[in-house]
This record gives sequence, C-alpha cells and structure tokens, in this order.
Amino acid sequence: MAQSNTRQNPAFYAVISVLVIMAIGPVLLMFVNSFKLDVDIISGSSGLVFLPTIQNYEKALCDVLWYQPDHVDFCSLKFGGAFINSLIIALISTILTLVIGCMAAYALVRFRFMGRDTVSMSTLMVRMVPPAVLLVPVFGLWNNEFCLDKDGLIGGAIREMVGGRGDVCLAGTHSGIILIYVAMNLPFVIWILQSFIVQVPRSLEEAARVDGAGPFQVFFKVVLPLIKPGLAAAAIFTFRIAWNEYLLASALSDRDTKTVPILIVNNMSEFNVEWGVIMATGMLLAIPPIIFTLFASRQIITGMTAGAVKG
Amino acid sequence: MPKIRLENLIKRYGNVEVLHGIDLEMADNEFTVLVGPSGCGKSTTLRMIAGLEDVSEGEIYVDEKPISHLEPKDRDLAMVFQDYALYPHMNVAQNISFALRLAKRPKSEIESKVRDVAATVGLTEFLDRKPGALSGGQRQRVAMARALAKDSSMFLFDEPLSNLDAKLRGQMRAELALMSQRVQKNMIYVTHDQIEAMTLADRIVVMHGGYIQQQGTPKELFQRPVNKFVAGFLGMPPMNFLEGVIEERSNGVYVKGDGFDLRLEPEKAAGAKSHSSKEVTLGIRPSDLKYDPDVAAEDALQLDIMVSEYIGAQSVLLCQCGSAKVMVELNSDVPVSFGQSLTFAVNTNGVHLFDRQSEVAL
Repeated sequence: MAQSNTRQNPAFYAVISVLVIMAIGPVLLMFVNSFKLDVDIISGSSGLVFLPTIQNYEKALCDVLWYQPDHVDFCSLKFGGAFINSLIIALISTILTLVIGCMAAYALVRFRFMGRDTVSMSTLMVRMVPPAVLLVPVFGLWNNEFCLDKDGLIGGAIREMVGGRGDVCLAGTHSGIILIYVAMNLPFVIWILQSFIVQVPRSLEEAARVDGAGPFQVFFKVVLPLIKPGLAAAAIFTFRIAWNEYLLASALSDRDTKTVPILIVNNMSEFNVEWGVIMATGMLLAIPPIIFTLFASRQIITGMTAGAVKG
Repeated sequence: MPKIRLENLIKRYGNVEVLHGIDLEMADNEFTVLVGPSGCGKSTTLRMIAGLEDVSEGEIYVDEKPISHLEPKDRDLAMVFQDYALYPHMNVAQNISFALRLAKRPKSEIESKVRDVAATVGLTEFLDRKPGALSGGQRQRVAMARALAKDSSMFLFDEPLSNLDAKLRGQMRAELALMSQRVQKNMIYVTHDQIEAMTLADRIVVMHGGYIQQQGTPKELFQRPVNKFVAGFLGMPPMNFLEGVIEERSNGVYVKGDGFDLRLEPEKAAGAKSHSSKEVTLGIRPSDLKYDPDVAAEDALQLDIMVSEYIGAQSVLLCQCGSAKVMVELNSDVPVSFGQSLTFAVNTNGVHLFDRQSEVAL
C-alpha cells in the first residue's frame, strides 16, 4: 500500500526531478557550452539555440590533431601531453595503492602482531588530514630533501638521460605526484579492503593450506579473487581522486608533468577566460574515469563468496 | 603407510589448557572417530594433526617421524571441512584439481584424475558449475572429491555431515563408509554424532573436557563403557541412570533404589560386593528392558508411563520409576495409556554399575 502511495505522490516526482537536474544539469551545461563559441556562451541568451561548432575541441586538441585548424594560430595547449601525464599518474598510483593496500589490509586482518589495532585505527586517522595541509611540507620536502646529487652516480646518469639542471629531486616528476597520491589514498583503501577480507571464511584459507598452498598462493589464488569487488570499488575511488586532484598536482608538477586539471585552469588569465575551451577540455577530462568506472564496476558482483561455506 | 601416534598432546590458549595430554595410536588404514560433546577438544586435536593449530606441548608422529613442526602442505594429508570450504570462484573441476595444480602435475594426469574422482562421487555432470549453484549434498561431495583427488595417505574429516539434513546425512554416511572401504587409508573423523561414530569407526575415541575418556571398537565401548559419561554418550535412546544402594542379602546381591529392587547376576554381584562404596548409579539401556507382565519382581522394573513417542514399529516411552525418568522401547502393537503401570523385565547381563561419586564403572 505504502509503496503505491509513494509512487503516485506528485511531490515524490518533484523531489526526484530536482535531484536529477542537480546531478545532470552541470554536465549538460558543460556539454552544450563545449559546442558554443565564447561569444554565444557569454551572451547568455537563447541557451539551446546556437550553431554548434567543434572549434573548442579543435583548439583543446590542437597538439594531437593531424591537421592545423584555420582558427588556431598558435597551439598553446598541450592537451595530449597532459592527458598522458594524467593517465600515467592516475593508473600507476591506482595500481600501487591497490597492491600495497590489499597486502596491508590482509596483514591487518589476519596476522596477529603488536599494535595491530592502533595501526588499523591510525590508518584511518591519516585520512582525516586535509590534502591542503600536506601541500606546503610536501612541496618543501620534494624540492629540497631526498634529492640525488647531480654529480653523483645515479643523479648524474639521470641528468644525462633526461637533461635538465640542478639536483634530481622529486618535485616536478611523475614519481613525486604518484607518491603523494598513493600516500593519500592508501588509508582509505586499506580500510575498505579490510572489511572485504574479514568476510573471506577462514576455513577457505585453511583448505588451501592443506591443499598445498604457501602463504602467497593462499593470498593470490584464494583471497584476492574473492575480494575482487572490493578491489574494484577501491580502484574506482582511487582512480577518480588521482585523476581529478588539482591542488597537490598544481604545486608538485612542472611544465612537462602537468595533468589535465591543471591544464584547464591555464585557460584562465587575467584578460580572458576561454569558457568554450574549458568546457571542451572538461568533457574530454570526464571520459577516462567513465570508461574506467564502467570497466571496474563489472567486477563488482555481489555474493562472490556464495557457496563457499554453508550458512 | 603411516601409523599415527599422538604423544602427550597438550593445547593451551593463553593460560587456558584445553587439551590435557592426549595419547593415541592409530594403526594402518584404521578409521578412527573422535567423538564427544562440543568443546571437548576433538576438533582441536584434529586441527593439530592437520597443522592448522600449533602444538603447545607433546608431539605427533607419523611413521615414527615427528611432524608437528611441519606446514600443513608438507604433512601428506587431505581434509574435509565442516563448512565444506569450497573455493567459490572456481568451478567444481577447478576445486577438485586445486591441489594437483599447485603441485604442478602434468595436465593430462590432472584431467584424468578429476574425471575419475568426479565419477566416484557422482559429480561428472556438474564439473563446470560453481559451488554457489550446487545443493548442500553436492557441495559435500565436491569437498570429498577434493580430498580424494589429493591421494594423501591420511584423510581428516571435521564434522563433515553436520550441515546436511537428516536424510542426506544417512545417505552420505553410507557413501563415506563405502569410500573408506575402497580407499584404504588412515581416516580420522571428528563428530559429535554418536551414530556416525558407531557406524563408521574401526576405533572410537570418546573425548570429554580435553581428556580421552575411552577408546576401542564400537562394540567394546557400547558393551563395556568405563564410566558414566561414555555409557550415556553412546547409544540411542541413551542409557537410563537410576541411583541405588547395594545390599547383600542371603539369596544374593541387590541394588535397591527409589521404585526398584533388582537382583544382580553373580559376576556383577562379585564386583559390586568388593567395591568400597555402596552408593552406586545403575545404568540400563532401553534395549535391555523388555515388556513382560509375568516376570518376577526382583528381575523387573515397574514403570509408570508419562509420554509415548510413536516412531513406527517401536514407540519410545518416557516413564517414571520412583523419582527418576526412564526411557524404554516398546512394540507399538502393545496398547498403552498414560499413567498406566507396566512391568519390564531387565536383562541383568546388560546392567551397568557406576560409582556414584567418581562415575567410574565397577
């Protein structure tokens, strides 16, 4: 009864509509505006009546296009490079986070060692620290500490290979950004995966041990396949954060390692905001996480452990 | 073929000692059943043999070689778990072949082994299914097949049938008995179900409170229980216990209690007479009580019927004998009514006497 009432209640539909508009509206606006000239966007009139153009996309993608668009005199945006930077950073930091995270979570759940509960709690506490707080100390450390002397053996070799001046530091490198993203996401991933590992019946691991599996085989052949849904959820979460992150990347990247979010903001200057290009780049920025999420979410199958043990 | 020997096996969790020095020997190809109520330490003992629990003190020998320091995988054993413990992400064939694949056996050998074992337990048509798509009985078969495929010299069973419904349990029990005859390996089987123990075992080990109470063949344990616990644990319906006092009279030795006065047969009488305490508990199995209205009073129990449970050809009657409750079996053809008093002849050979304090058999 109650259910049919809610379904017929107009207020119910009103609330739903508002929520849908709130969720989809900005994306829709971005999509529409990415096909408009800046003039049309700023004039603000007749939102949906305009002549669609792909000029913004041409401009955003000028460094990867095989032809030179007429309206672009000088290709100032390096979208291709930034896109590859973003991919490298997001993918590697996601993979690293998952690999370290699942092992740490397994250890925290299954092994008995001193201070286990403290470690478990403090991993989540670390998550409470806002990234902005990390920014200044990390910037200082990455620029001035842990550097390899440019005249040293390894530092010298790196300088010879990739060029550049000064000591070899983490600042401005992919590794520097990846490292901080891993550190930032790890606590939460450990926290998520712990709850998945707890649900893996202990007798499964015991059965595997009796069947002749060593500790690593137990982990990789039995436990890991069973927590796939958890890994997928954690991967989506980590990839999204690493892909979208702006603040730390803006400080820790340099000209060659900047990511797409940084690139977008470069379209704003004190004289001009190129809304059309920003919207087009934004649309392009949204595509990889969507693909990644679609791919990863297929791994999230509920009831993975069904049939393992009775009851 | 290993001969398994447990020597003074002790298990402690922190300061709590749960197993107090288990000594046990198992001959070649013997089917040993560890039986007892929950918490008696039988599963712990099994898990220590399997290597899933550390041994606090003592040693486990297989073929006179100590194994308690070895990892489970190096102990040459297969185990069937109470909750099956099937790998849910693998299909039946992969589950069965997991141990073989870990051992890196050739592919052709694995395939033929899986086919053989699956045929043995009747799973051939389910090889592609995941455990989630199987019924309880089928999962149980997969668990057994997985153990069989490993070709170990020792099989451990941890209450493998306790999750099945009564009918399936009977069926699987028969299949297990068949399997153990065919495989001819050492089997160690843990259960709390005395029927499983009686039907499957070559040797039953009754455990209680972390001690072995008695071990021997099912017949030995049934006929000559060493104490009141073993006597009450084995047999269905359970043994009746009546408290009484031994009295020597001119025409024999009697046990007198509330509502009965039984004459002991000479062999039992000698044992009872030589015992220091005269206060005893009398144990009589329901199967040793027969309805016979014409028997002499000194060989009979007079029972007042309280409840009658009809179970087919036989009925189980719960009766009152003085202040004690007594269970008897009766042919269902005999008409009974509640409150009625019936006379049951006691098979005096089947009477057991226990010291009332120590509960040890006289």
